[in-house]
Amino acid sequence: MADAESSHIEMQHDTSGHAVHSDDAHAGEGHGHPEIPNFITLVKASPLGHSRVVEFLHHWENPVFSILALLVLGCVFKTAMSRAQLIPGKFQNFIEVCIEGLCNFFSEIIGEKYAKRYVLYVSGLFIFILINNYMGLIPFFKAPTSVYNTTLALTICTFLVVHYTGLRENGPIGYVHHIMGSPRDLIGWLLVPVMFPLHLIGEVAKPVSLSLRLFGNVMGEDILLAVFLGLGIAATVGLFGFPDWAPGFPLHFPFFFLGFLMSTIQALVFSLLSCIYIVLVLPHEDEHH
Amino acid sequence: MEGLSFEVLYPVGIGLGALGCGIGLGRAVGSALEAMARQPEIAGKLLVNMVIGAAFIEALTIYVLISKFIVGG
Repeated sequence: MADAESSHIEMQHDTSGHAVHSDDAHAGEGHGHPEIPNFITLVKASPLGHSRVVEFLHHWENPVFSILALLVLGCVFKTAMSRAQLIPGKFQNFIEVCIEGLCNFFSEIIGEKYAKRYVLYVSGLFIFILINNYMGLIPFFKAPTSVYNTTLALTICTFLVVHYTGLRENGPIGYVHHIMGSPRDLIGWLLVPVMFPLHLIGEVAKPVSLSLRLFGNVMGEDILLAVFLGLGIAATVGLFGFPDWAPGFPLHFPFFFLGFLMSTIQALVFSLLSCIYIVLVLPHEDEHH
Repeated sequence: MEGLSFEVLYPVGIGLGALGCGIGLGRAVGSALEAMARQPEIAGKLLVNMVIGAAFIEALTIYVLISKFIVGG
């Protein structure tokens, strides 16, 4: 359990430094919930914080963390595949196992005919959301998916793919036919005035629920960690009279595991749902026209 | 007692949301466990599907949490 121990000790050091207790409030300004400071807010609260570079970084906090995640991922994959050999070494083998496992998992759902085109998008979505979520659990970092902007952006990307696929594969007439509920017989055509609004409402509800699910889970876990960190500090300050800047009880430690579990599951659910939405608009070959 | 105002009923709404999701999750996990007991060799596949289903149901409770932030700020 050495990594878990060091990670919670690192979180204790995160709370050391006199500015940090008031920094909880500074970092959480603008929204009603407490937030753990990350390295950008810590630099902003220090004497260096009035320069334009730091204010720019603080304003674009979430894209900075997303781009950092992308750079790390890019470096990892490039290092693994830069001198790709037929009989792979350990690192290349590990990366290949991950990617192949993901692609097989999504290929089963999409089906063989269209798998090649869409499986990379969905796997990339999964890895990106996974790394973004995990960044919330690393000390001094922040999960970009814990604000609604990032998850809404990812949802918009997914729905652009879905609707473009629907238009391209089915043609405009087929697309409208699909939204009307794909009527084939008289009963189907009679039910069109009922199915059409229902389907439209569903098409609005799907992006909203997709983005809110990821956002709510990651933000909730962030708040949980912040509240229990504050509780740990309040316990030592109140019960034992420790000074403000001393690390408190590690009361937030069990929630790290919950955080890892929920982050992974939510990344999987987001990418799986994206995959399913893409499959729903693709033409089904098993029906007889 | 002012009667049934928003401040009184909103927490009741939150509780009802949690209640519904609790019932749903209990049923889902219960059926998964029953199926696992019936056929232990597919327990792995059942676990994956149960977790995915539980994530969807849990999302409904998360929507209630988000409504608290939208309403209360």
